[in-house]
Amino acid sequence: MIELRNLTKTFGDFTAVDHLNIKIETGEFFGLLGPNGAGKTTTISMLSTVLLPTEGEVLVGGQPLTRKNSEQKRKLSVITQEYSMRQDMTVTEVMEYQGRLYYMPKKTIREKTDELLEFAGLSQYRRRVVRHLSGGMKRKLMICRGLMIDPEIMLLDEPTAGMDALSRRQMWGLLRQINDRNLTIVLTTHYMEEAESLCDRIALIDHGKLDTVDTPANLIRDLGAFAVDEIEENGTIISKFFTTREEAIAYLSGLGSQATLRNSTLEDVFVERIGSHLMKR
Amino acid sequence: MGIITVLWEKWTEFKRDFYKITLAAMISPLMYLIIFGMGIQTTSHGEPYLNYLIPGIVAMSSMTGSFSAVAQNMSVQRLYEKALDQVMVSPTPLWQFIVGQIIGGSLRGMYSSCIIILLTMPIHTGLIFNLKSFAILFLNGTVFSTIALVLSFLAKSYADAPKYNAYIITPMSFLCNTFFSTDQMPLGFRQVIALLPLSQCSTMVRSIAGGGEASYFGVALLLVYLLIFSTISFLFIYKKKNL
Repeated sequence: MIELRNLTKTFGDFTAVDHLNIKIETGEFFGLLGPNGAGKTTTISMLSTVLLPTEGEVLVGGQPLTRKNSEQKRKLSVITQEYSMRQDMTVTEVMEYQGRLYYMPKKTIREKTDELLEFAGLSQYRRRVVRHLSGGMKRKLMICRGLMIDPEIMLLDEPTAGMDALSRRQMWGLLRQINDRNLTIVLTTHYMEEAESLCDRIALIDHGKLDTVDTPANLIRDLGAFAVDEIEENGTIISKFFTTREEAIAYLSGLGSQATLRNSTLEDVFVERIGSHLMKR
Repeated sequence: MGIITVLWEKWTEFKRDFYKITLAAMISPLMYLIIFGMGIQTTSHGEPYLNYLIPGIVAMSSMTGSFSAVAQNMSVQRLYEKALDQVMVSPTPLWQFIVGQIIGGSLRGMYSSCIIILLTMPIHTGLIFNLKSFAILFLNGTVFSTIALVLSFLAKSYADAPKYNAYIITPMSFLCNTFFSTDQMPLGFRQVIALLPLSQCSTMVRSIAGGGEASYFGVALLLVYLLIFSTISFLFIYKKKNL
């Protein structure tokens, strides 16, 4: 289990993460969702010890996670937003470097490299220098690198950022397969569909503060499972949410203007909970 | 074990960029040798100026080789590629990463020095480069590797690395007993320059090259520099809030 206890990070006067308290269960696929600048990446950076908290702590299996704590770090694998690897290394060198950093025997490094590159469809690019890989291939390589060490926890910071729709869906498949291995996954993403499709639970964060934590289904249900989009004369869409289809249809039938009925989505939850705060500012 | 991993990483980099690294290590020192040593033929302390210049350039090469190997690599890894994150999150103890960087950087500095020694061999100067010289060069390389580490951790952008080169390495290259003796400098300034690590290294390598010995004071001073900058590096990697 991972526990963020009062986790806070300030940069001068700016508070990027503000007393975050979250518990993530073992084997859970957990999403951190929030607008740009919400503190998602800062939180992941503190989980990877690249940034140290100003206040609070991260506990992994009940033990504080620190830069000195090699045993705790052995359980973690991080896939950052940027392609955080040596761009001048070849694909196999990147994998070997990772294996060596985790004290893996050479034979195991070779076997795991073959297995993972095959799994990610990168076998034919094993001698290619990272700099010459496409964005999607680099992301897949980062996943392979992360899995090289059989981690217990994977931290994924926007792993599909900048990917085309097809590559993104391939990546989702890959992530589902990984989660099936009973790995705890913490994912940050901008894509609501991704979070809804992959995550068991989601934390909505805004300006470093926790807004809510729940399953995607519960978040949608709390908002109202049915949405009526009313299109105003100036083209603005106003959505209203209802618990039952009947309520939504009753509302719809009373409308004179153009309107549609649909199922609510996580994006609606995000817009209603976080978007309204942003607009007020 | 972590030290070996870092040395392996440095070795792959060295193999891949062998020609670039070798050429970069050769060009500036060769120019200095040709212009100051062969072009402008003078004597120093009653001997051909080349005999004075070569040990200075060998010492200088160990400094530039070590410093650039670590500063460039670490700045790119920390600020541009973010590859340092991979190390930070790994179970490899961070002190081993630092020690690996120091040794790897120093070996690169020694490689640069060896190129100059090999290139000047046909000149038959009679200069002596022995195990003691290499030990001094290695120590000098470790000092400049730790300085490079500290500056890399302080750098806020990738553009800071060349600035450090311009403000620290270039002045030392010219002033620290490499091209001319610090005895010719004004009082006060001379003493300050003499305390800089490259001045000590040049003096000791030159002394050994002329059949003399390395000074205990020089070795002690280099060790003090190594201790100070490596302590700062360890503090940064373990305690710096935002790496």
